[in-house]
Amino acid sequence: MFKYLFAKNEDIPAGSAAVFFGFSSIIWFIIGTGLGSFNAAKLAFPDFVTGSYMFAFGHMRQVHVMAVIFGWISMAFAMAFMYITPALGNTKLWSEKLGIWTCFNWNGGLAVALCLMWAGVTSGREYTDFPWPIDLIILFAVLLPLGINVWMTIVHRKTQGIYTTNWFFGAAIFMLMIVVLVGNLPEYFSLTGLTEAYLTWWHAHNILGLWITPVAAAIAYYTVPKITGNPLYSHRIGHLHFWSVVVFYSTPAAHHLMSSPLPEWLKSFASVEGVLILVPAIAFVSNLLLTMTGKWHYFVDNIEIRFTITGVMLAIPLNMQGGFQQTRAINWYVHGTGWIVAHAHLALLGFSTFLEAAAVYYGLQTILRRKIYSLALANFHFWFLLIGFATYWISITIAGLIQGAAKIYEVPYIDVVIAEHPYMIARWVGGTMVFTGNVVWLYNMWMTARAGTPVPVGRLPHEIAYER
Amino acid sequence: MAWKFDKPLYTLATDDQNEQAKYVWEHESLGGIMEDNNRLPQAVVWLLVLTIITAFLITAPLWGQRPMAAIYEEYIALMDSPEVAKLPDDEAKMEYIVNTVKSQGSKWAGHQDRHPLTMNDLRLIKDQIIELQRENAHMDYYTVVGKDVALANFEGEIGDDGVKIRVQPSWDLGYTIDVFYVLYFCIAVMIVVKRLPPSDWQPDHSIGH
Repeated sequence: MFKYLFAKNEDIPAGSAAVFFGFSSIIWFIIGTGLGSFNAAKLAFPDFVTGSYMFAFGHMRQVHVMAVIFGWISMAFAMAFMYITPALGNTKLWSEKLGIWTCFNWNGGLAVALCLMWAGVTSGREYTDFPWPIDLIILFAVLLPLGINVWMTIVHRKTQGIYTTNWFFGAAIFMLMIVVLVGNLPEYFSLTGLTEAYLTWWHAHNILGLWITPVAAAIAYYTVPKITGNPLYSHRIGHLHFWSVVVFYSTPAAHHLMSSPLPEWLKSFASVEGVLILVPAIAFVSNLLLTMTGKWHYFVDNIEIRFTITGVMLAIPLNMQGGFQQTRAINWYVHGTGWIVAHAHLALLGFSTFLEAAAVYYGLQTILRRKIYSLALANFHFWFLLIGFATYWISITIAGLIQGAAKIYEVPYIDVVIAEHPYMIARWVGGTMVFTGNVVWLYNMWMTARAGTPVPVGRLPHEIAYER
Repeated sequence: MAWKFDKPLYTLATDDQNEQAKYVWEHESLGGIMEDNNRLPQAVVWLLVLTIITAFLITAPLWGQRPMAAIYEEYIALMDSPEVAKLPDDEAKMEYIVNTVKSQGSKWAGHQDRHPLTMNDLRLIKDQIIELQRENAHMDYYTVVGKDVALANFEGEIGDDGVKIRVQPSWDLGYTIDVFYVLYFCIAVMIVVKRLPPSDWQPDHSIGH
């Protein structure tokens, strides 16, 4: 990477920024899930690593969350931007050099920010844990250059139309910048109380709603038609999906604070909009599954499609949960329990991770022109990720329901701890499986780069997956 | 940017615009990706309609309402009566109380059905409810949570008596905003989609690919 930082843009091979982002994302995924596994071990075995302030759960937990969101997920997105955006415009990335600088700044900045947070330098506000100077650095040194590169690539496209994926890409970066700017207002201006709570959760909700969800979905809009060779089922449903994300995802935030003294009308408004999150979900899932018509064998044969369609199908329980758990009737029971933690992992480790993993698998093979080193290891990764995630999700959902019941019936806390102990162990086992799968993934992709079979000119990696 | 309004549910674009869009659609390769022009399947349309209706129904206060102290006032007034005292066990006592209140036609009948409780529960909340009655408190502003009678966490407008209303509204400004919001969204998406070539036309992908 360093040799390209000061090279001329023309001298940097096309796709370099995407490759650096791709490998960075996998490494951050390992770090993030490693921290997650460590934290889960602390919940399962309370005597595990005690006596050190630095390794207390309260210090470690948000480092895991931010490493996964801004390391793994967002860098996988950046990789997708760097190779999918130009591909859809039949052009090159506007500036490989800017992409590489963005990758450099991002990795360095995130490492510094996470170390500071680990040491206790934090705003203390969930999902905006970084202190405000770091938020501004993220905004101007990472998101703005990323946005400029994507927007300029779209502007300089060699097509008249703009494909659905690029609407989402271009809009999501803009929306994320607004979310980061507005969501951190309480820090810039020392806003407190309800205003702080509302803006904090507006930010947290929209990191998911206007960044992770639309970009992950946009990746699926690319991988499924590209790999199956089927046309996207409906351009029109793409419009419905895009605009319903913008309209219905941006508005709920009060639904995270249903028991707070916010105005009731605001909660009613947010709660209805919260259920309407199902509108983009239905549009997205139906469009992608109908695109698979006649090509369902790819779900078995092809690793990228298997990842993608698993992610698409996980969007169904994700949005059913998300839509209904925030209503007054259900929220009073599950609020503040492990149910919500399980839901967050369904969103980030289930739905979105599977879609991003597909993008990284496909992107690295396509750009490096190398067939995947080992399909067996890729399958191992898929199953460890899926079984590990499912174990985690199911166990914490059950633990959450136990906590909910205990909350209502005022069961002594220590009895709840004992009741949920087996589920905490299952959580650790599931999380550790995910971590193990990711270590194997990094090895597989590293070996793909070094020793993968070259893909002949005119062919695509997935076409020769089973050829020796 | 010309518009055509004679068949708004079919197309809002002129013939020229539709022909141009069809040409670009068929002759352009977006990184090797193709798109069809299918309409939303009818089953999915109904699913969306159902979702919108459900969004309003599921969030309606009826389903999320916790028991108010007010709904147990009649029970408490009866629980120490001689008729109840002479009954052999708690189960019979509770059954008598519920049936008597029901036969008298309580305005809280629906709430009482949804939030049944036992004689032991009643004993736990009795003194708290009597204390609130002495203070002339708004009994519907208090919710019963387990053994506690607590001020509800709803924060409404200030009432005529200067006390903040703490009753979950059956309809409020939020729902009104939602109705308009959904309506504007549907109109805007209809406009966007009807500016595309009509859905009875499908692109021929063999031309540009």
